[in-house]
Amino acid sequence: MTPQADLGIFAISVAAGLIGALAGVGGGILVIPALTFGFGVDIHLAAGASIVSVIATSSGAAAAYVRDRMTDMRVGMFLELATTTGAVCGALLAAVVAPAFLYVLLGVVLLGSAGMQVSRMGEESPPTNQPSPLAARLRLESSYPDRRLGREIAYSARRIPLGFALMWIAGLVSGLLGIGSGVLKVLAMDGAMRLPMKVSSATSNFMIGVTAAASAGIYLGRGDVDPQIAAPVALGVLTGALIGARLLHRVSNRSVRLVFLPVLVAVGLETIGRGLGLGL
Amino acid sequence: MTPEKFRTLVSTVLIVGVGVSAALIGAGFVAALAIGWQGSLIGAAHATGSSTADFGGLTGRLAALEPAAIAQLGLVTLLATPVARVAASVVGFVLERDRLYAAITLAVLLILLTSIFVLR
Repeated sequence: MTPQADLGIFAISVAAGLIGALAGVGGGILVIPALTFGFGVDIHLAAGASIVSVIATSSGAAAAYVRDRMTDMRVGMFLELATTTGAVCGALLAAVVAPAFLYVLLGVVLLGSAGMQVSRMGEESPPTNQPSPLAARLRLESSYPDRRLGREIAYSARRIPLGFALMWIAGLVSGLLGIGSGVLKVLAMDGAMRLPMKVSSATSNFMIGVTAAASAGIYLGRGDVDPQIAAPVALGVLTGALIGARLLHRVSNRSVRLVFLPVLVAVGLETIGRGLGLGL
Repeated sequence: MTPEKFRTLVSTVLIVGVGVSAALIGAGFVAALAIGWQGSLIGAAHATGSSTADFGGLTGRLAALEPAAIAQLGLVTLLATPVARVAASVVGFVLERDRLYAAITLAVLLILLTSIFVLR
């Protein structure tokens, strides 16, 4: 890579880290096409750099989110039980299942859930409701300081079995297809469990690093993590994630959704494209 | 352990992991700009045929202070940070005497280690 290309990769990665930290996703949707189309990087090395990008976004942003009480660590750990189990099943199934149909199915689900995101655009905190006994038993209820609204917002997880099942699928999909793990996590927490958008984003950020770490060994072993590509990506993403993490508690939930929605649509389209063999 | 201290513990593990890896990756990157990815900061001869994406012979290339190897050590540190974070969470929940979550987090750690070292 020339120093100019290094600088270009760094700049794209800053953007990926910033968007990823705010939206609770890994930024692979931006990093992979930018590397392959923009800089002619081999797709395997781009995927290896993307794994690095996910972990850099997650660890860089979560350090701040955990400290600022934006991440719900119990929700995160409970759901990681589902995502890691799902990821192992996905990795085992990958040799058996032809994923073309799964790509299309996942893409349609993601695009369908974009409508739900639009309908919740103005919602600054989820409707308060009778806490479920399961949420109390599992301690999946807490509050977060919303500096934008200037008060503490209490929440309690709803539809926990559905959220857990969706998280298992999120893990399965990331093990099987290697894509969309962040967007599915945000959708499970925001859409199914009705956690506040910022908590969903910050907790997804906390979790995606663990999902990615589970498969990082495979990428290292295959020789897909090349520092010539991954080093400028890691440095850029960390910079972007640290900036993004300082912004999250200042912006509104609406703004978080405005960042998340185009990512959701892009991942949906990309996934359908892959399923149809369009080579995106 | 208070919830506040627990958050500080987990947050500190993440900051240290990110900080150490960023320092190593940054040092490797800057050194590579000066002498190339496969040069040697101590002037050792380069082992021909090795790739910068090869993690097998990392210790030898680290001893030669090869910029790629320094950055690779940083990348491994970065990839290990989430695992360290889960391990710290096990400790945190145990010290908080939350048995349910200590068990959940320990299970996650075991699944994670299994998938890293067994499934490949």
